[in-house]
Amino acid sequence: MSEVTPTEPRRLATEARDRVRFEEEALELSDQVYRVARRLVGTREEAEDLMQETYARAFRSWQSYTPGTNLRAWLLRILTNLNIDRGRRKQRAPEMQPLEEGDYFLYNKLEEASREPVSDQEAVVERLSQDDVVTALSEVPHDFRDVVVLVDIGDFTYQDAAQILDIPIGTVMSRLHRGRRILKSALAEQAVGGS
Amino acid sequence: MGFDDPCEKCEEWMQPYLDRELDDTERAEAEEHLAGCGYCRKRYRFEESLRTFVRDVCAEQMSPELKKKLAALRTPL
Repeated sequence: MSEVTPTEPRRLATEARDRVRFEEEALELSDQVYRVARRLVGTREEAEDLMQETYARAFRSWQSYTPGTNLRAWLLRILTNLNIDRGRRKQRAPEMQPLEEGDYFLYNKLEEASREPVSDQEAVVERLSQDDVVTALSEVPHDFRDVVVLVDIGDFTYQDAAQILDIPIGTVMSRLHRGRRILKSALAEQAVGGS
Repeated sequence: MGFDDPCEKCEEWMQPYLDRELDDTERAEAEEHLAGCGYCRKRYRFEESLRTFVRDVCAEQMSPELKKKLAALRTPL
């Protein structure tokens, strides 16, 4: 007879159950992962490819995930690494043109462009269209966009974003700061023309 | 950070405040300033709704086909 001890089938059964649980949990998060993936790349096709590669890799290496830790962040770490590794993104050197506008720049611009006094600040946002936002976001250079997408769309903390992208938290903060300002400049451009 | 102008400081803190990344003391200071300053409060309301707006319009649904493809990647039992 074989050498399999009575505990071996039990171990295999436990492992199978853990794997099934992992796969179910990962799939339940796929909508949230996709939402971020879609804005990290330019097209829906690229996002779909990236999702499939990410899930294929995640299912292969599920044992390297530590149960109880942030699975969504773990999946996005795979996804952002794949996105960088595959050289899909032509790494543009971040343009370092001076960007002196403050944080209130976009509001001031939209208010200035309005013909009537602004009484409802929430309504000011409605002057922007979905296309304005999507186009403006796509104009933010990758390094900055990754951080903006993770924090603003993925709702990750600075610490999570730092772990996902494997960069120091200070770098997350500086890229976020700059990325949001680039985004706002682009939005102002879209919404009210040249700045 | 050495700001002479409290509105300038508030502007600098606006994003970390919205990100819930200020410490308790900083948050209390920012809230106190926002409560008393109409100029910054207006801009705070705008920034908050801009966040929500960006998140909402960027939320694109995954196609049912992709969902099926991902499920098909599972390890066969």
